[in-house]
Amino acid sequence: MNQELLEKLSECVEFGKINLASPYPPQMKGMPGADEITKEALEAGVTPGEILNEALISAMNKVGQKFSENKIFVPQMLLSAKAMSASMIHLKPFFANGSVKRKGIFIIGTVFGDLHDIGKNLFSMMVEGAGWEVIDLGIDVKIEKFVEAVQQNPNAVVGISALLTTTMVHMKPVIEAIKSAVPETKVIVGGAPLSAEFAASIGADGYGKNPQEGILWLDKISA
Amino acid sequence: MKQFIDQILQSPNVAALPIMTHPGIEALGKTVRDAVTDGNVQYQAIQYLSDNFNTTACTSIMDLTVEAEAFGSKINLPENEVPSVLERLVSDVDSVEALVVPTLDKGRIPQYLLANKLAAENIKDKPVFSGCIGPYSLAGRLYDMSEIMVAIYIDPETMLSLLSKCTELLVNYCKALKATGTAGVIIAEPAAGLLSNDDCMVYSTAFVKQIVDAVQDDGFTVILHNCGNTGQCTDAMVASGARALHFGNAIDMEGVLKQCPSDVVVMGNLNPVGVFKQGSVESVKLETRSLLQKMAGYKNFVISSGCDLPPHVPEVNIRAFLETVEAYNS
Ligand code: B12
Repeated sequence: MNQELLEKLSECVEFGKINLASPYPPQMKGMPGADEITKEALEAGVTPGEILNEALISAMNKVGQKFSENKIFVPQMLLSAKAMSASMIHLKPFFANGSVKRKGIFIIGTVFGDLHDIGKNLFSMMVEGAGWEVIDLGIDVKIEKFVEAVQQNPNAVVGISALLTTTMVHMKPVIEAIKSAVPETKVIVGGAPLSAEFAASIGADGYGKNPQEGILWLDKISA
Repeated sequence: MKQFIDQILQSPNVAALPIMTHPGIEALGKTVRDAVTDGNVQYQAIQYLSDNFNTTACTSIMDLTVEAEAFGSKINLPENEVPSVLERLVSDVDSVEALVVPTLDKGRIPQYLLANKLAAENIKDKPVFSGCIGPYSLAGRLYDMSEIMVAIYIDPETMLSLLSKCTELLVNYCKALKATGTAGVIIAEPAAGLLSNDDCMVYSTAFVKQIVDAVQDDGFTVILHNCGNTGQCTDAMVASGARALHFGNAIDMEGVLKQCPSDVVVMGNLNPVGVFKQGSVESVKLETRSLLQKMAGYKNFVISSGCDLPPHVPEVNIRAFLETVEAYNS
């Protein structure tokens, strides 16, 4: 029974079924979604840890894989991320009271001067689905805002996104400021115009070409 | 315009049509803010580029905020960067239903019409292309770009109704642009490039086609620009009926030319930043030549930048680009 619920939930997340009201995907129309099934699972005694590890994380892995193979596109991936968030809402109290541990805090923002946020939103939802607490600073994030956020959360890992060749150069001063405020902070960068070489040259600790790579890196440093 | 299209298709030479206004704005010592708020300044920038560069046609500013502002969006107008939309204007069925399609006296639309009119009246030796945003990208600006991606699945009716309102404005705006005497319009639809071909058909092409049907004729060409397409939604772009398609640098141009009918003009796709802005004269020449060589034999190919040239592109690089095309043609 519990196993069945976990499988159903995993399917909802993989195919982007957010809740009962959502008509997508058509073949699941009128059926409960990630929202309702998570509630049902918790009531049936499935632990939040099981929900996170056996349903959400594995489903988001599959989604990330399909996206990197061009089998699905941005909308489908965002729908999966939304379904995952709908489930996650029910887990928040357990994170808050410490009965389920998250992997850490991840602070993310699009670098100042840059207003592109679709990629950043996708990655941050994936990171949340991978078991992290995410603080999203939004777009056009100034150096001071990043610094303030790491000072308030000294153990956090930071992610920075840039989509413009003209703004990716702003990442270096951000990284320098973060590291001088809280030296042990690890920073990962991403966005279409970047490369691993560029990331290394500006002092970033990690680079993710896609969400998959970014999450693998996060898992490695948090292990 | 068929005339324009026919000229391209019949000419033995490759036409060079970079999308640019910023170099003209800078040469005049004006700011971006001046040019996007004052039709006279924008026109002067277009005129300067027409006088100083031997391009096949002129373009107006690719400003993706004019139409959203007319709807009521709050806009940030930095002195020397392209303007941006500050926050979403609509967020649910009710706000979409309440949204009023603006008349053409709203926001900076009158200034854009003025710039186009002055350019069309005064630039006689080459066609002038107007510009506007595409329906899906406009809807995304009003509804939030990430949110619309999801909303087309969970609330398609509301999104279709938002798209209809966006298209109504764009049809009116394009008719007015046409009336200024320009040779056509470049419709910038980057956000549709993130969709699958099927979704692009339903949420972009169907609406772009309404604009095409309303304004395109022998004297007025629609150029559909989509720099988001990485190759998956080219068929949907073709299905819009636009006589010319313009591609960004994220796509393989040779693949595009193989996929597009030979009577559709295909434009692209040198990286506006990596090549034009950050490249050296030598690297611009190299990249230009290499693209020309790859496209040799395709009579419907027009060499262009993959998107609007951003501020601070060195003039020498634009010259290097145009000289390379000229040398190749002779
Ligand atoms: C959609 C879009 C827009 C939308 C943005 C809406 C929004 N809210 O984000 C609008 C229309 C507003 C826009 C505006 C502009 N844009 Co734009 N835009 C695009 C477009 C079509 C898609 C970008 C996108 O969302 N991709 C989808 C996401 C999922 O991909 P992604 O962001 O790369 O993210 C992935 C990875 O990179 C990674 N990732 C991303 N961030 C991070 C962070 C971390 C830590 C990690 C690990 C991973 C990671 O994960 C994601 C999933 O795989 C691209 C073209 C393209 N093909 O990329 C142009 C593009 C990025 N834009 C461009 C330009 C020039 C502009 C404008 C200047 C245009 C103008 N004249 O106004 C303005 C800039 C405004 C500003 N100051 O930011 C150029 C940039 C050129 C360059 N190299 O600098 C591009 C490449 C188009 C082109 N071919 O010229 N744009």
